[in-house]
Amino acid sequence: MSAKSCELRTVMVMNISSTSREVAISVRNLVVDYKNLRAVNNISFDAKAGEVTVVIGPNGAGKTSTMEVCSGVRAATSGAVSILGFDPKKDRGKLNSHIGVMLQDGGVYPSARVFEIAQHYCNLYDNRTNADELVESVDLTRQKKTSWRKLSGGEKQRLSLALALAAKPRVAFLDEPTSGVDIFGRDLIRNIVRQLAADGCAVIMATHELDEAQRVADHVLMFQSGQLLANAPMTELQDATGQRQTLEDIFRHLAEKSKLQGEQ
Amino acid sequence: MRIYRSQLRQELTVMIRNGEQLLLLVVIPVMLLVFFSQTDFLPTENENKIDFLLPGILSLAVISTAMVSLGIATGFERSYGVLRRLGTTPLGTRRLVAAKISAICVIEIAQLVILTVVGLLLGWNPSRINLPQILLFLILGTGCFAGIGLTLAGRLRAEVNLAAQNGLYLVFLLLGGIFVDSDELPATLSPISAFSPSSLLSSLLRDSFSNTVVLADAIVLCGWAIAACALAVTSFKWSD
Repeated sequence: MSAKSCELRTVMVMNISSTSREVAISVRNLVVDYKNLRAVNNISFDAKAGEVTVVIGPNGAGKTSTMEVCSGVRAATSGAVSILGFDPKKDRGKLNSHIGVMLQDGGVYPSARVFEIAQHYCNLYDNRTNADELVESVDLTRQKKTSWRKLSGGEKQRLSLALALAAKPRVAFLDEPTSGVDIFGRDLIRNIVRQLAADGCAVIMATHELDEAQRVADHVLMFQSGQLLANAPMTELQDATGQRQTLEDIFRHLAEKSKLQGEQ
Repeated sequence: MRIYRSQLRQELTVMIRNGEQLLLLVVIPVMLLVFFSQTDFLPTENENKIDFLLPGILSLAVISTAMVSLGIATGFERSYGVLRRLGTTPLGTRRLVAAKISAICVIEIAQLVILTVVGLLLGWNPSRINLPQILLFLILGTGCFAGIGLTLAGRLRAEVNLAAQNGLYLVFLLLGGIFVDSDELPATLSPISAFSPSSLLSSLLRDSFSNTVVLADAIVLCGWAIAACALAVTSFKWSD
């Protein structure tokens, strides 16, 4: 067994023993292939209710593909995925009432106005979410009548997050929620994400922004070239990698180590 | 029903809010109806040009709503990720499709009323109106053109789809028996035009206003509708 897998196994074992929270997302041996590319290569992980699991890694590492399979947007090539006990593709009808999804590209009609689209998404769920409160929760009350195409990048991100919240989700998939968001918007989004977890939601959040990831993460999935470099609770990951404190340092350390082992 | 109604409201709002959509759906058909009924450009043997024109313009209205408007909007919804995102909600495919079809029907009914009123003002005087028959052909035409529009929208990139839908609209407009009867076209184009769904729909509507329906035309249009819808269902991709 290589030193890397030894280290990761240790981290994973610590993870399993350190918490008894309910597993909301279970992924086993997931493979996602595109035409000539293996985007995700045989990965397995769990994500728990009441925790924020951040998914980090460089562009093309397999983060979005994994999120898309878990949220039922994309079919897996092989492997088993269970979200709240449901297959995200086959049981989509049952599962969709319980998940909130924020896609990387927004997914909103450009001419739709803030309140109108929030109201529409509230109507799609049977949970009496109030559209006024939803819009207010992401600080867009003043932009209620503004169309999506006229919103700034940060405002679009906040609205997109609000639409995911309309579900009052038990599992939330957030793809790059803080991308292009200013400092105040980040504070707001971070608070919402933490509150979601505090309410018992399993939050799985993909991001490139490692400082942001570090601030919200309970658990970290590090991707590189379609594989998992690490799968561990944030604190234990920091301990397992010695004195390195920031996620960026930890990622560089593990990526470098993986590269060296690959060359040997 | 709440979810369906909300999606229908959203579809109609987005459709009506687009200025170019209103131009395509209402202004262009009305302008063409008024212009060609008041001028002598059309090689029609009908004494009353409006009797020939109005059924063709109704076909054009169906093409603009069911094919162009639906097809372009759906193409961009795919491209913007709207469909992908809605796919993660409890909306479901059946309610989405039902809302889209209902939105088309609402717009078509509005077009039918507006064009009929304008036609009557321009002196349209049909010898007979078989409303159930007309509605049946409008439904068949809607199914056929919606199938064609969604087939293109479900496979092509949004910008290519936009060009394809508009190009096809122009082909149907000029060669689809709407303004010029298929028999009046050059010999090489005439049989193709006669077999086209726009030509079939136009002539079936004309027949419905004069008590002479060719059953074979209705069967062929029905075949077009089934084939186009089947193609759309089997080939449609929800995201790029």
